[in-house]
Amino acid sequence: MLKNILLPTILAVLAYGFWISPDFKEIAAGVAIFLFGMLSLEEGFKSFSGGTLERILQKSTDKLYKSIAFGVITTTFMQSSSLVSVLTISFLGAGLIGLSQGIGIVFGANIGTTTGAWLVAGFGLKVNIASYAMPMLVFGVILIFQKSKSLKGMGYILAGLGFLFLGIHYMKDGFEAFKSAIDLSSYAVGGLKGLFIFTGIGIFATVVMQSSHATLVLIITALAAGQISYENALALAIGANVGTTITAIIGAMSSNIVGKQLAGAHLIFNVVTGLIAIIFMHQIMSSVDFFSNIVGIANDDYSLKLAVFHTIFNVIGVVVMVPFIDKLVTFLESVLKTDVSKSVAGFDSARYLNDSVLELPATSMAAIVRETKHLYDNAFEIITHGLNIKRTNIISSMSLDEVIKDSYSQSAINIDEFYNNKIKGIYGQIIDFATKAQSQMAPGDIEILYRLKLANRDLVEAVKDTKHLQKNLVKYANSTNEHIKEEYNTLRRGLAELLRNINIIATTDEDDVILLLLAKAKVHTEKYDILANGTLDKLIRQGLVTNEMATSLMNDSAYAYDISKNLIAMAEITFASVARASNNLNEEMSMSPDDIQSILHTKDNA
Amino acid sequence: MKIKKFIKSVTNYLGLGDYKIEGKKRSLKDLIKKLNERKSDIKKKLKESSAKKEKKELEEEFEIVSLEIKKGKEILYKLYPKKK
Repeated sequence: MLKNILLPTILAVLAYGFWISPDFKEIAAGVAIFLFGMLSLEEGFKSFSGGTLERILQKSTDKLYKSIAFGVITTTFMQSSSLVSVLTISFLGAGLIGLSQGIGIVFGANIGTTTGAWLVAGFGLKVNIASYAMPMLVFGVILIFQKSKSLKGMGYILAGLGFLFLGIHYMKDGFEAFKSAIDLSSYAVGGLKGLFIFTGIGIFATVVMQSSHATLVLIITALAAGQISYENALALAIGANVGTTITAIIGAMSSNIVGKQLAGAHLIFNVVTGLIAIIFMHQIMSSVDFFSNIVGIANDDYSLKLAVFHTIFNVIGVVVMVPFIDKLVTFLESVLKTDVSKSVAGFDSARYLNDSVLELPATSMAAIVRETKHLYDNAFEIITHGLNIKRTNIISSMSLDEVIKDSYSQSAINIDEFYNNKIKGIYGQIIDFATKAQSQMAPGDIEILYRLKLANRDLVEAVKDTKHLQKNLVKYANSTNEHIKEEYNTLRRGLAELLRNINIIATTDEDDVILLLLAKAKVHTEKYDILANGTLDKLIRQGLVTNEMATSLMNDSAYAYDISKNLIAMAEITFASVARASNNLNEEMSMSPDDIQSILHTKDNA
Repeated sequence: MKIKKFIKSVTNYLGLGDYKIEGKKRSLKDLIKKLNERKSDIKKKLKESSAKKEKKELEEEFEIVSLEIKKGKEILYKLYPKKK
């Protein structure tokens, strides 16, 4: 309802403003050009985020101070705390970083964004900024039309900076001209009332423009032109700081619960910082004067003093909030949690796939890898239970003979129900998400994505085959015929060994262990061919099993073979190849069918 | 053309020619080293082992590791440019 009224109202107010004042038009055009510059700048930086940013992010956020430093540096460099917030939500959504790391980055971004005020107040207002804008725009646009991704990215950044400069120039000129027509400073409101009114205006302006940077530039240019009082400008800056959380909130709406928790942290941090600034306004203003005197800022240079104020109150906010990060995380995790009541009991859905991770190809890929591992966990549970084995026994050091003796249940489990609740939905979500994600991926990444889709299909096939295998497995595991019972237990033992080895592969970092276990698994899979190895012939010839038993065993050993093949193929892609994609080493070292045959041949001859 | 040549000679001198290939060589050497250590470890265990089942498993591992070492060496060999 509010949304439907807000946009037409804003448009009508702007149109009326343009009609009565050409200077207002110039200021508004300046803001619009500035915002367009921000969009262009963000587009440019996104094109460089195909690996470098992700690598830096993952390596430099393991400690809180590093996360804060990362937030400060990236925001200073990219001049957009909104972009950093949205990217952080995207990384959180993909599970690449934790909530505390994300909060650290957001805290740092709040300090980093204050450099914008310094740049505008110290450089933008003191030189003819438009003369820098024009060549940037020309070079930028030429580069945008280039095929190379990096040149294109550079083009967007240059054009973005050009538009930012041009926007600042128009705002500056607009306010200068506006001064002769209307004196806005006559509307200045002093005291506590003014503080609250202008903080509210700052929040509103930033929510509408979705950029605290744009609001701040507007405040600084208005302040430099003497259109607003220094005190009111400080209140507007506080409001801009609170209002900027809207971008993170909007970004988090399409994210998973962790993204929402981060947006909550951002809101709490900025509101608390704003309250501190309002409560201790006089003390902070005194410290601004003190600091300005030290660095040689003139007493009447209010635009630079505003930049000092902006930095001081954000630094105070970080200093005050840092000791409470753990409590903040606990609070957010208790308040914002997954709505369990909505989901059907036992039903599982995708954990990492949400629109926020689609922001970057790298986060999309990471989310799909993690979701595949999630699907594997569910498939692992179904397959072990389908084999009538306990999951905890598989991952323990218990001998395989004991593992198959310790049954999970006396009767067969309903694999169809498990499949519908824990596999089908997630698999569908992965395929759907992969289709969306690949539209913005490079050909190399699309190839990896294709292989991941295959890995998911392999998992689904393995679960389906387990369903077929389970029927006779339960029947013959309790048979009075010891021979058929032993054959089925051999199948169970073999698959239990495979699941145990895959679990080791999934959790180890040692390349040699992964190679050895995958090779062993491939060799052992061949033993399921009971026709070729003569097991079936022997059982029939000696009359140890009935014809019905022999047929069942032949079919079921084929299912066991397929389950093994599918699980090995999945493990090779998910845990050995994609997870260690830096040099394709595991892929090249992987055992080919010829290698397997040569090992089997050596074994036979031994 | 001269600038390109200069850049190439400097990157070659600094060993920055192709960092991906250099990284792969390093990883491969590390892997072969680990596999060799594993191979001698298995050899040692084979001498000490008397149980038939265990011996069979160790022999299989020995075969696999030997084959992996051979494959690794072949890949490594291909990564070095042939001297004319």
